[in-house]
Amino acid sequence: MQNNKTTFAAIIAVLLTIGSLWLTNQAVTPKQATWDDVLVEGKNGGYQIITTDELAKRYQQDAGSLLLVDTRQEWEYRTGHLKGAGNFSMEPTAWARWRKAAALENFLGPDKDRALVFY
Amino acid sequence: MAVKLGYKNVYRDPYGYPEWQARGLPVASAPAGLAQASEEAKAPGPLYGWAMIWTLLGIFAGGMALNLTPCVYPLIPITVSYFGGQVSKGGEGRGRLVVHGLCYMLGLALTNSALGVAASLTGGLMGAMLQNPIVLVVVAAVLVLFATSLFGLWDMRLPSGLTQAAAKSYTGYFGSLFMGLTLGVVAAPCIGPFVLGLLTWVASMGSPWLGFIIFFTLSLGLGLPLFFLAIFSGQLEKLPRSGGWMIWVRKLMGWVLVGMAAHFIRPILPGHGGTILLAVVALAAGVHLGWIDKSQANFRVFPLLKGIAGVAGLVLATFLVASWAMRGEGVAWQPYDEKILQEAKTLEKPVIIDFYATWCTPCRELEEVTFHNAAVVKEAGSDFVMVKVDVTKGGNPLYERLLQQYGVKGVPTIVFLDASGKERPDLRLVDYLPPDKFLQHMAGIKDVPIKN
Repeated sequence: MQNNKTTFAAIIAVLLTIGSLWLTNQAVTPKQATWDDVLVEGKNGGYQIITTDELAKRYQQDAGSLLLVDTRQEWEYRTGHLKGAGNFSMEPTAWARWRKAAALENFLGPDKDRALVFY
Repeated sequence: MAVKLGYKNVYRDPYGYPEWQARGLPVASAPAGLAQASEEAKAPGPLYGWAMIWTLLGIFAGGMALNLTPCVYPLIPITVSYFGGQVSKGGEGRGRLVVHGLCYMLGLALTNSALGVAASLTGGLMGAMLQNPIVLVVVAAVLVLFATSLFGLWDMRLPSGLTQAAAKSYTGYFGSLFMGLTLGVVAAPCIGPFVLGLLTWVASMGSPWLGFIIFFTLSLGLGLPLFFLAIFSGQLEKLPRSGGWMIWVRKLMGWVLVGMAAHFIRPILPGHGGTILLAVVALAAGVHLGWIDKSQANFRVFPLLKGIAGVAGLVLATFLVASWAMRGEGVAWQPYDEKILQEAKTLEKPVIIDFYATWCTPCRELEEVTFHNAAVVKEAGSDFVMVKVDVTKGGNPLYERLLQQYGVKGVPTIVFLDASGKERPDLRLVDYLPPDKFLQHMAGIKDVPIKN
């Protein structure tokens, strides 16, 4: 009786392990987002989309008014980044959002009206 | 996310850096801050007086910190079962137990430091002696031997010849010392990482005795918690027996030892044999502890504990096999060839040369974690020429020459050549490095053409 219960639990646990491993190790091929996708995403997230041209114009006018945030990994930032940008590595996961919220607020500073550009 | 924090003017530039750079807008790059990576410590000069004492104290503390690493785990069950079972038979006071503990610790430290000094003095590639296949096999054999004792196949006792050799009244103490001397071999992998570091130091002082003192202090620090564990378990045994569950716990510890043994010989098994062996051990342990073993106990959580142990064993086995089976592509290595280096030069591609041996644990780790990381594989495939030099077996004249040419002292050594074929010594690696740090090194070597 006891053994049967344990066996049952073991089978469930083994299946769960395989399942979660499969989920986490799956090769993700991110689909190429179209410009429209990006716009929709921005609308949902409550932020605006800026093109390279537009950003370049504002950057050349007054670079100081912009806070450029490089969200890529540190090694990517090191190889090259927009001049004047700071590096704040973000992974596109809920876990990273939750974990880094406080640090991000600290990073962005107290001025809530300043123009922030993430890339 | 910044929106949620209350920022109002939030923009996103979906084209990001590549587009910006392509238009020739201002960019900057931070040459990798690799100060922490070239960690080769300067060899301090000879020490006298107080400086010596402070240094030794520091080393002692370092030894105690070593107890946080997994290499000491196998010592714990052995210590508990030996002192629990053996010493208390004399049934005397606490003082006796303390002396036993001291003897044990002394024996451990002696063997351990002798091995350390031997490894240091042989120098060069032999500095990795503690990862040598023979040492690994001996360690694994000792572990399995003790495991069989825990399974109840034989009683842990001194060989009778040795018992008679010692004077009657000291037999017990001698036994503890002997135990420590034997187990020093098991603890040896703990000081492995220190060997390369202390190697240069000991060599610069030119005194094996000073080297011995250093390793001895380190081993004493390592042994101190075990000393307390020994005393503790000696007293634990005086409690009234609580039934069959003790036997089960001993079996559990036995399986832990078998697992450690499998872990130790893993590097010398070809291919994925090590992973499969570990999985088999985990499976066997789970089935044995959870189902086959019939020990009973007079408290109710015991069947639950057994169930948990059994399920944990099975899950571990599944995890090992499944994560191995689902692992992605690795870096595509090429064997060393002058032509490949020439080709890389004409293509202006940087080259990464990995000197490795199959028995070296950090090499395996590099291969299994770093060189299977998706970002590393991608970078390596597009912008690098990856070359592997297998120095497991000596005697290949070409490889011997390469070891000379690049001044390789041990494995792993990873040499970074820039696009013009010159080595960047500041980027050289002599240990395991996680993928993100490794990517910084890769970025560091790519820096050069950007700056031009």
